[in-house]
Amino acid sequence: MAVLATILILYLTTGVASGLRGGANIVVTPFSWAVNTIARPIGHLLAGTINYSDVVAQNEKLRYQLGRAEERANEAWAFSRQLEQLTNQLDLPFVGALPTVMAQVTTVSPTNFAATVGISKGRDSGVLVGMPVVANGGLVGRVIATTASGSTIQLITDTNSSVGVTFKAGKTNLVVSGRGPNNGLGATSVPLGTAIAPGTKLSTDGLNGGLYPAGLPVASVKTVTLTPGAASYNLTLKPAADLRHLSYLDVVLWEPAA
Amino acid sequence: MRRVLLPATLVTLLLVAIQLSIFSGLRFAGVVVMIVWLWPLAMGLAGLTALSLWCALVAGVFFDTHATTPFGLTALVAVLLAYGASRLGREGVGDLDSAAWWVTPLLAATAGFFAPLLFVGASFLTFNFSLWRDSLLAAMVVNALAFFVLARPMAHLARWVGTLGGSRR
Repeated sequence: MAVLATILILYLTTGVASGLRGGANIVVTPFSWAVNTIARPIGHLLAGTINYSDVVAQNEKLRYQLGRAEERANEAWAFSRQLEQLTNQLDLPFVGALPTVMAQVTTVSPTNFAATVGISKGRDSGVLVGMPVVANGGLVGRVIATTASGSTIQLITDTNSSVGVTFKAGKTNLVVSGRGPNNGLGATSVPLGTAIAPGTKLSTDGLNGGLYPAGLPVASVKTVTLTPGAASYNLTLKPAADLRHLSYLDVVLWEPAA
Repeated sequence: MRRVLLPATLVTLLLVAIQLSIFSGLRFAGVVVMIVWLWPLAMGLAGLTALSLWCALVAGVFFDTHATTPFGLTALVAVLLAYGASRLGREGVGDLDSAAWWVTPLLAATAGFFAPLLFVGASFLTFNFSLWRDSLLAAMVVNALAFFVLARPMAHLARWVGTLGGSRR
């Protein structure tokens, strides 16, 4: 029985499943549309009524943050240009020079066991599987599926996600793994000699054959723990991007080397 | 059975849409309440064996088309829950009229507690060994609580859908 179930699931997870998914999506869409049409305005009305003062306060705060971000962007421009020149000399891709496509988050993962979001741009906008996605100050994830007008992004907190990162002028490389939608990020087997402390910022290493270009902020170190008797550190990390409040994000039009 | 198949399927699709549009965004302690599992369970407890298995398959498959987890796993768990519940339902356990008020919610809560564990266990069949890393315990507790609260309304809905066919069991 178990063998048959395995074979059936393996069969369905291959090509046939994608066709089935597409067909089933078409069937469910009218029902989802009907529920959304009825439920969303009611939800927004209730949320708006209850949280009006919070919304106003949040709006003011965002205006202030936007002003500061613009100020910093201007300051960063000169540094960015300098870094671009340096990375070009090292033959590494630099995200500041790469084109991006802005997209709106349309769906969040419907399940407890995957950290993904759906976005409003797909193949028609040049979005391809494997492209990195950034927002809210850091790396968000990568594109894992596309349609003509939409894509699915696997967030860096997904349990199947791993990102090669570096810190301290690229002298040390680590692999950061997702620990699920509610648990953030972590890194294990960090050599004991590594000079790492809470607050250290990690960015993508851009190593040859890597999934991401160099220099994308990924996370900062929250805690460094050492299990007694172990020969390595375990790190708990806080994602650089605020993954809980994703509304708009940028797909970096960069493909990993084959 | 044939007369009730269409309305049961339509209700199931509507519940899948409600799951995707409302419950999947409305997270409690970061956890999604899986009404696509509660629905076939309620059908099973109502004694509608074949119908509960059908609804489990439909709900699971259509939900799986929107998730990035291995295809078929939600459906597999839903079918197992429906089968287990229908065995109890045929014996009259959890019947809304004859059993104590708390029996149906308690059975649903137990199922809600173990369903995420079953899902993770079933994921090993697809050689996916990473799902257990997430907040499994939180998913189990939240689903148990939510199933306890929603069990009776869902059981009433299941019974009503069952009556559309003109007979029960």
